[in-house]
Formats: sequence, C-alpha cells, structure tokens
Amino acid sequence: MKRRKLAALWAVLVTVVAALLVSSQTVPVSAQNHGHGNGVREVPPPPFYNPYPPGILPPDLPQEIERVRREVRFIENEALAQWQALTPPTLTGQPPILAHTGQRANVLLGKLMNFDENISPFKNRACGFCHMPYAGFSGSIPSVNLTMIAYPGSFQFRAGKRTAQRYTYSPNFPVLNFNAAQAAFFGGNFWDSRATGYLLGSPDANQAQGPPVDTQEHALPDTACIAFRLTTAAYRPLFETVWGAGSLDIKFPHNTEGICETPGGASVFGTNTMPIQLSPDDRAKANNVFDHWGESLDQYEASPDVSAFSSKFDAFLHNDYTLTPDEMAGYNLFRGKANCNSCHLDGRSTAPTPPPPEGTAPNSEDTGAAANARPLFTCFGSANLGLPLNPRDAIYYQDKPDFFGFTANPYGFGFRDLGLGTFLRSGPGSWPSPNDDWTPFAPTSDGQMQTSTARNAALVPPQCPTTEAPGPYFQKEFFHNGYIKSLKQLVHFYNTRDVYPFPVTSGNCPAGKTEKVDCWPMPEVPNNLDMTIGKLGLTDTEENQIVAFLQTLTDGFTRPYPDINTFTGMCMACNPATDPNCSPSRQGNGFLIPTPPLPPCASAICGVAPLPGPKPIP
Amino acid sequence: MNRLLLMLAVAATAGPANPVSAQFVPSSKKAAHVRIFKGPELESATENLTIIRWISDNPGGSPEHFGVVHYGKDPKDLSQTAKSHIRLNPTHSYTEFRVRVDGLAPKTTYYYKVDSADAHGASDGVISPINAFTTP
Ligand code: HEC
Ligand code: HEC
Repeated sequence: MKRRKLAALWAVLVTVVAALLVSSQTVPVSAQNHGHGNGVREVPPPPFYNPYPPGILPPDLPQEIERVRREVRFIENEALAQWQALTPPTLTGQPPILAHTGQRANVLLGKLMNFDENISPFKNRACGFCHMPYAGFSGSIPSVNLTMIAYPGSFQFRAGKRTAQRYTYSPNFPVLNFNAAQAAFFGGNFWDSRATGYLLGSPDANQAQGPPVDTQEHALPDTACIAFRLTTAAYRPLFETVWGAGSLDIKFPHNTEGICETPGGASVFGTNTMPIQLSPDDRAKANNVFDHWGESLDQYEASPDVSAFSSKFDAFLHNDYTLTPDEMAGYNLFRGKANCNSCHLDGRSTAPTPPPPEGTAPNSEDTGAAANARPLFTCFGSANLGLPLNPRDAIYYQDKPDFFGFTANPYGFGFRDLGLGTFLRSGPGSWPSPNDDWTPFAPTSDGQMQTSTARNAALVPPQCPTTEAPGPYFQKEFFHNGYIKSLKQLVHFYNTRDVYPFPVTSGNCPAGKTEKVDCWPMPEVPNNLDMTIGKLGLTDTEENQIVAFLQTLTDGFTRPYPDINTFTGMCMACNPATDPNCSPSRQGNGFLIPTPPLPPCASAICGVAPLPGPKPIP
Repeated sequence: MNRLLLMLAVAATAGPANPVSAQFVPSSKKAAHVRIFKGPELESATENLTIIRWISDNPGGSPEHFGVVHYGKDPKDLSQTAKSHIRLNPTHSYTEFRVRVDGLAPKTTYYYKVDSADAHGASDGVISPINAFTTP
C-alpha cells in the first residue's frame, strides 16, 4: 500500500535519535526562546531554569522545541486560512443563533486558540505544543517521552509532573460527580479529575482554563492576560463574531504587557492572582472571555477534527471492516480473559462470558440489549494501577527557585503523586476542590488516576507507523507518569505486575532480572491498589493480540485524520542484532536511571487530613 | 425487536460527540446463584506479599467492589481484615477476586475466610469456609 511505501522511504531517512541521547551532554545555554515576530522584548531574556542534573533533559531538546513550534505555527496558519474560507454565519432569531456556519466558526475559533503561541508570556507556547494531532493530541517530542516525560512550559525549562494526556474524547467526560449508589467518582478532566466542570457544565471547557495560568505550562500570571493577548490576535474578528461585538473592548492599563510577559508564580506577584488592575466592568468582561476561551476550545476538541470516531473499530461496528484474526483474538481477550473492558467499557451487548474453564471470551451471541454505537473505552472512573515512581520525571528536580523566585516542587523526591486523593484534599500541584462533601473520600482515592479512553493510544504520525521498536517508530509515553514506553509493555504490566513484583524502586531490579520484563518495581502509592489486574494469565502471543486490537482504535481509518501529516521530526529505529533493548518489551530500558533512596512522602502531601490510610504512604 | 432497539440506540448516539450521549456506567447483574466455584487459594506467598484469590459468580451491584479476607493465627479469631479493589465486569458472568494480605510474620500459619463487598462495604454474603496457609 501507499502508506507502506512511504514508511519504507522514511526508514531510509531515519536517524537513530537514541544514539544522540546517550551522550550525557547538557543543553546549551543559548536555548532559551523568546517571542516570534510580535515585537522585541525591552528587557534582556531571563537566564533559563536548569536545576536538572546532566542527562535529565534530552540533549536535542532545544532543536525539538523549535521543531514543534514550527509545526504549531504551520497549523495556526492553516486554521487562519480555513477561517478565511468560511462563509460567515448570520446572526438570526430569538434566541439569537449564528445560523448556517456558526458551529464550524466556533470550532475553528477553538482550533485557532489551540495553536496560538501568543497566549503565553514569552509567546512561545500553544496548547498544541504539548498536544499534537499526530500523537493523538498528546506529547509531541519523542526524546521527552523517553526521558523527562513532562513538557517544558513557556519559561524554559520549568516543566510539569505528568504526561501530556491525550485529549481525544475528553469532552465526553461528564461533570465530576460522586455517584452515591455506586459509591465512586465519575467524570472530570485531567489525570486527577480536578477540572470538574462545576461552573461551565463541561469539565473539558473547565480544563482549557487551566494551562494558560499553569505556572509550568503557558504560565500567564492573570487570567485577563488571555483577553489582553486576544485583542491583538489575527482572529479577533472571529472571536467577536462568535462571542459578540465588543466582547474584547476592555480598557487595559499601560503596564499590562509587562505583567503578561512575566511568568506566573514570580515572587513580584506575591499571592496576587489579579495583578492587572481592571475596573469591575472590565474584569467581568475579561472573565467572560476566559469562559469563552474554555468553551471554544472544548468545541474544537469535541469536533470530528479531534474526536473523530473514524477508527477500524468504528468501521467494524458498522460492518465496514473485518477484524483480522489477531485483532479479533485481541478484542475477545480485551473483553474476556484480560478483563480490560471492566474499566475500558466497549459498550457491547454480548452475552455474559461464561466462567473458565468453559470459556474465557464472550459469547458472540448478541443479547439484544442496546449496544453503544460509539463506545468510548472508559468508564469515566479512576483506579490505582500501582505504577512505580518514575525517577526521570522532571518534577523531582525542580526544588530550587528559578530566576523569578518560583519553585515548582519544594519537596524534591519527597513528592508523591496521589492523583485524585490529593485533589480531594485540595493539595499541592492540584486545584482546590469545589465540594467539601467529597473530602472524606480522599483516603479511598489516593493513588487513583482517571481511566483513559483506550482510543488513540496507538495513534502516530504516518511516517513512523507504530509505537513499538524496532520501528521506524514514534516513541510515546504511557500512563500518568510515562513509566511505560510501548503498548507491549503496557499490556505486559497489566498481565504480570503481580507475577514479578520486587520490593525495589525503578532502576534497582536485582541482577539477572530485567525491569519491565521479569521485574516490576513496587508501586509509588501502595494504597487502594487495584487487583482486577496484575495477573491475567496471558501468553506472549495473547499480549501481542491485545496490542493489535488497541491499534484498531486509532482514528483516521474511515477518513483521513485532520493534521496528522504535520510531524517534521524523526522517527526512531534500532537494530535488534546489536541493541539488546531493541524490542517492544525492552524499549527505553537503556534510559532507566536508578531511583535515589527516597525520603518519606512530604507532609504537605501525605500529612494532610483526612490522612492516607489504613496504612501511611511511605 | 432487537434490530429496532439497536436502531434506537444508534439514533440516540449518532450526533456529534457530546457528554450526554456518551455512555452510562452500568451496574452488573447479579448471577442467579452466587457461589464460589474456584478457590480460595494462595496465588503467591513471598516475604513481602501474599495474594489470595478465588472466583465466584458475578455478585452484581456497584462496579467498584472489594475482595475481603478475614484472617488470624487462631481459627476462632479471624479479627484481621485485608481488602482489595476489584471491578465487576458487567459482561462477565463470573468475577475473580484477588486480595493482598501483607504485614504477615514469616513461617507462620494463618487461618482465613474470604468474603466480598460492594462499594459501600455491604457484604455480598458469599463467604468461604475457613482455610489455612503458612508463610515461607
Ligand atoms: C506544557 C505542556 C502542556 C500545554 C502547553 C498544555 N497542556 Fe494540556 N495537558 C498537559 C498535561 C501534562 C496534562 C495532564 C495534567 C494533569 O493531569 O495534571 C494535560 C491534560 C490536558 C487535558 C485533559 C484530558 C483528559 O482526558 O482529561 C486536556 C483536555 C488538555 N490538556 C488540553 C489542553 C489545552 C486546551 C491547552 C491550552 C489551553 C493545553 N492542554 C496546554 C500538558 C500541556
Ligand atoms: C481497574 C481498571 C482498569 C482495567 C481493568 C484496565 N485499565 Fe487500562 N487504564 C486504567 C487507568 C486508571 C488508566 C490510567 C492509569 C494511569 O495513568 O495511572 C488506564 C490507562 C490505559 C491506557 C492509556 C494509557 C495512556 O497513557 O494513555 C490504555 C491503552 C489501557 N489502559 C489499556 C488497557 C488494557 C489493554 C487493559 C487490559 C489488559 C486495561 N487497560 C485494563 C484502568 C484500567
């Protein structure tokens, strides 16, 4: 096929990025990047933040940042052209409706926002930087996925703590709610569900309000900086078409640019979250713009441009595609022996799987109960899968103040990611919880992360047609801390976490054992460990069949996936004859580093009531 | 009939992605007779970790469930409890429970019985006879 030929062509061009990465060289100081085009900064650029020991930041980081920024600007220009080609909608009726093309106009507005670098102090970060279409709207830089796992924000190299979550289908999550009948939380956005959606009625719109003012992402110091930057956006007329003429007519004081180009968290701001002095009316307008920012981005993410329902599996559901024997076997394992669909609901109405030994796969008879024609492969709930602490995570090293006096993680390796539990306690690195009735559930939520949709986990750029070594492959990162580097490893983890458990931390498996193959380090958070998984009894072949099934959940089969062709970086590849880690099972093992002896969990995280229990978190 | 239902379902979900049409979280149906038909048995026993497992009919109820092990050194005093999260699969007629029991003393015999509970902690009433295991 065409795609095959293209892949073969690219294979010739592939550079073994891994080889470059092995060098322990640090990033050159000239790497700090500043605004493009939009005027020159009056002040010299601040020295950039590098608290990282050698080998933590990937050496190609500066080039890769520039590569992704070029791709982001390319898509932004494409979106500008799409908007210009759109027949403007007509405001009609009571209630007023943007008739004819209003929906598309709003989606395009969201797309323009998603790829707009100006919504950051140094005009160098767009949402899309960390969420590129060719990665299923997740992390765009293979070497980052392999090493530091968190993405550098506008003030380089501040970085977050978790993997850039794929956001296809995230608009489908309901407003976070505690279901009293089932005694469990459902919904919200983010790994820890902290974007509840309690005000806007949409967790995804609520989510989009986070990154612009996240100190380690876009890092604007005041939400009104969004409105301020939108006043000079090329697509300002579109914003005003969609959200009303005059919606951006705000009288900003003269020092606004100076404020908005200083990253959030800077000590000059103290605890002031509204450093731009606006009249009450103008503040109200800026707040409306902030809400519309979230709402338009949500509509882009909900549109077929992002959440496309165009996978092989969707075609299969419409009888337009026959799963191959391996894909079908993987599907039956997914909903049978491997039990994946207890959390990643597949929406099918097959008769109950009979118990072993009679059967380990579902009966293919349809029970006649209504099937969900668009299953999302999530239950919207959360679980603690027991992932080990990943010592490469950039967050552990950001324990010193940067130029602006901001320290992302004062606890160093005392940081523990308790996910939903920390959110319910309004703890560090999360957001305040908007509902005190939820707080008592923190101890039973510690370590829990949101069940991702299994859709698009395997989505990659066409020229690197897989996530798996030897490639050419696109290196992704899986689970909230990126500990897992291939889908084979992901399935093997579910299958054998409790078959090869060792009381060690990552990088410290006993001699003769291979981490992720026959040694799984202990969980970072031992509380609330989920035991549905951990010993599934799958053979090596069966693991591979589940990977084949996961690959059928990739959008872009029934029609091309928008903007998937925008990757201009290099695929990875390796030679199994010379590289012992050149296999899906051991992919990335060359980059394991020993976890240092861990101090106890910081009291600001684990010492907050209601305390983790029944046992404390080490 | 089946086809009609299916068509209705398709009609209800065919619009653009939106939170309402998205999905529902089903509770499992209770099997007609819920009994343990495999185990309980020791899945693994190391100095660090003991896992007990068994399979019963799907007890139904909240998807979030717990496997529960009541244990102690005296068969008449099973006052210690270990419980582990298990998700019921609404499309499976059976459920495999696995429970981690830790903090045990080496080379010691423990007596135990297993139970399961819904997300509120209410027992499913499917309880095993008393068994024993000895740590390595
Ligand atoms: C510097 C990298 C970075 C930037 C820039 C960024 N994100 Fe993210 N995004 C992340 C990370 C990391 C997470 C997971 C964070 C967490 O759970 O704590 C995330 C999570 C999300 C999610 C949650 C998906 C889900 O299913 O819950 C959505 C949606 C999202 N981002 C959209 C956006 C939008 C919209 C923007 C711009 C306004 C943006 N992101 C900017 C890194 C980034
Ligand atoms: C007990 C519930 C549960 C079961 C069972 C389960 N998962 Fe998951 N799955 C999760 C949760 C929770 C996450 C996110 C966890 C995290 O990042 O810490 C996840 C994440 C994933 C992801 C996305 C990873 C990423 O980084 O985007 C894939 C793919 C996946 N699971 C596949 C599977 C497969 C295959 C199986 C069966 C072998 C399975 N899951 C069984 C709960 C479950």
